[in-house]
Amino acid sequence: MSPDEITALLASMVRNATPLAFAALGGLFSERSGVINIGLEGMMLMSAFGGAAGAHFSGSVWIGLLVALLVGLLLGLLHAAASITFEADQIISGTAINLLALGGTGFLMVTLFGAGGTSPRIDSFGPIAIPGLSSIPVIGPALFNQSILVYLLYVMVPLCWYLLFRTPFGLRLRAVGEVPEALDVAGVSVVRMRYLGVGLSGLFAGLGGAFLSMSLLSAFTEGMTNGRGFIALAALIFGRWNPIGAFGAALLFGAAQAFVFRGPQLAIPQEFIEMIPYLLVIIALVGFGGRAVAPAAVGKPYRKE
Amino acid sequence: MAGQVGKMGRALIFPVIAILLAFAVGALVILASGNNVFAAYGALLSGGFGSLQSFGRTVVNATPLIFTGLAVAIPFRAGLFNIGGEGQFFIGAITAVAVGILLPGPGPLVIIAALVIAGLAGFAWGAIPGVLKIFGAHEVITTIMLNFIAINLTYWIAQGPLVGEGLVPGTDFVPETVRIAKLGMGLGGAHLGFVLGILAAVVAYLLIWRTTKGYEIRAVGLSPGAARYSGMSVAANGFLAIALGGMFAAFGGGLEGLGTFGKVSVPFITNLGFNGIGVALLGRNHPAGIVLGALFFGGLAAGAQQMQFATGVPLDLSDVLLAIVLLFVTATRLVEMLIGRRARALAAGTKLEGGLA
Repeated sequence: MSPDEITALLASMVRNATPLAFAALGGLFSERSGVINIGLEGMMLMSAFGGAAGAHFSGSVWIGLLVALLVGLLLGLLHAAASITFEADQIISGTAINLLALGGTGFLMVTLFGAGGTSPRIDSFGPIAIPGLSSIPVIGPALFNQSILVYLLYVMVPLCWYLLFRTPFGLRLRAVGEVPEALDVAGVSVVRMRYLGVGLSGLFAGLGGAFLSMSLLSAFTEGMTNGRGFIALAALIFGRWNPIGAFGAALLFGAAQAFVFRGPQLAIPQEFIEMIPYLLVIIALVGFGGRAVAPAAVGKPYRKE
Repeated sequence: MAGQVGKMGRALIFPVIAILLAFAVGALVILASGNNVFAAYGALLSGGFGSLQSFGRTVVNATPLIFTGLAVAIPFRAGLFNIGGEGQFFIGAITAVAVGILLPGPGPLVIIAALVIAGLAGFAWGAIPGVLKIFGAHEVITTIMLNFIAINLTYWIAQGPLVGEGLVPGTDFVPETVRIAKLGMGLGGAHLGFVLGILAAVVAYLLIWRTTKGYEIRAVGLSPGAARYSGMSVAANGFLAIALGGMFAAFGGGLEGLGTFGKVSVPFITNLGFNGIGVALLGRNHPAGIVLGALFFGGLAAGAQQMQFATGVPLDLSDVLLAIVLLFVTATRLVEMLIGRRARALAAGTKLEGGLA
């Protein structure tokens, strides 16, 4: 492959990795606090729609972004309320949110835009070249000529690492996911920490969704998440519930997705090429996920004794 | 007899409350979108159950949902969450249609062969996440990944080796003799698949509640530690349960392929696998509940079309309603707060033991 083709492939890898990484960070906060969030897919989808609709009706991508974040947050809080306060099974609650998002976006597409399928095109967050860095041969344009949301991700990954592992808040959040009883005894509200964790996961899913409809593409298409929310969960597991690891795993899966569209033409049918990202996730989970240890208290509602 | 009725009545309370609450929320959504709630819900109900013809449409919709519902319920009893019904359904459909097209012979024999082979294919496809689970890969993610892989595989077969000659992308029709017979009686497109669905539910019930293997599956699901202590293999029983789930979903796909459609077109009908999750949970993961749940949701889907036609409310509302029902069914504490502590006892069958571990 020529250097230009490699750059294009790497750039596509970063673009594909971004929604996965945002969603994985979301899953990180939720699971670290002890709540499984299977609903990332639905949260991303609904946020993607919210972003596109917000941008379309207001004329501003920034308002669109705000709407996307709000939608993500609301769905996150819904999942939090269902699983924490009302003790729903967390996997079922997440699945319900995914179904809600699928039906809801279809419903809203018809109600707001008159027809299903794809929303009207919107102005999106286009690429902004960082002077200097983007001139580095081969990798420069791939890493540093991207939309502002990608740069936000670059900042978020180490920030989340610091937040989770070097601050009292992060310590409390992690403790709530490992030994909630200990925190309860110490007077910290388990419920409040978990709401924070799940709420944050909604926000991050919102960022991921916003990126889909307002940067990767410039419109909302029904079902556009295409399993990314679940791939993000796999990235989280593969990355050992660590922001850096999750980001690395997201890059890996993003590379697989990039390969589908920009890889060298192989002599195998397109349908098989499209299977590659999903196969890779399975291989990653089987090969390395088995030794991963989830936060100890994840998945179970916490009841005061 | 009174005890049985009382027991069934108690079992229905949760889903019924959930449905009522969901419809209340749905009414708000309809109002917010500027439509008349009574007109919308009226059309919804009459479209699903208002006439023999509507009921026929309900039955057509319900038939595959019984199978995809069982596909979720059986692994659920072993403590596993099978979200792969969608892919397993597709595998069954394309396998049955392939056999129908390629195998010569008298119609009924080909149908039986097609369904049996489709079931085996579904069993194998369901076995994959079962095996992967033993290697530590959580079935929620693997089954979802396998959905995408199965759909891609199905579309490749339908547009590649098995591609037909018509204008619609996909396979040819299977020969007329290989189509599943219709029920008639004014029920429109409803076919024998519905009867087979009820039969499948009965078989599933007997399997899970009246055999030793079924007992093991349930034991492993209710208390993996105790089951292991008694010498039962959690891994093997889980594997069997999810493979069986795949088999049932595949039967459903095969029956749709040979019954309702007669071919696999691209795109093929989607969401049946996912809606099966809702049906299973609404039916408390019990075959009888699943049949009722399938009819409920089948009616909802049929009615939604009528609702969209008569009042303009988008038919996606039925998906929204189902999702809300699901939330209420599983958010037991909410219903507890509404009807008191007895709710906790009624909630059996709506929660998995254990988490992502």
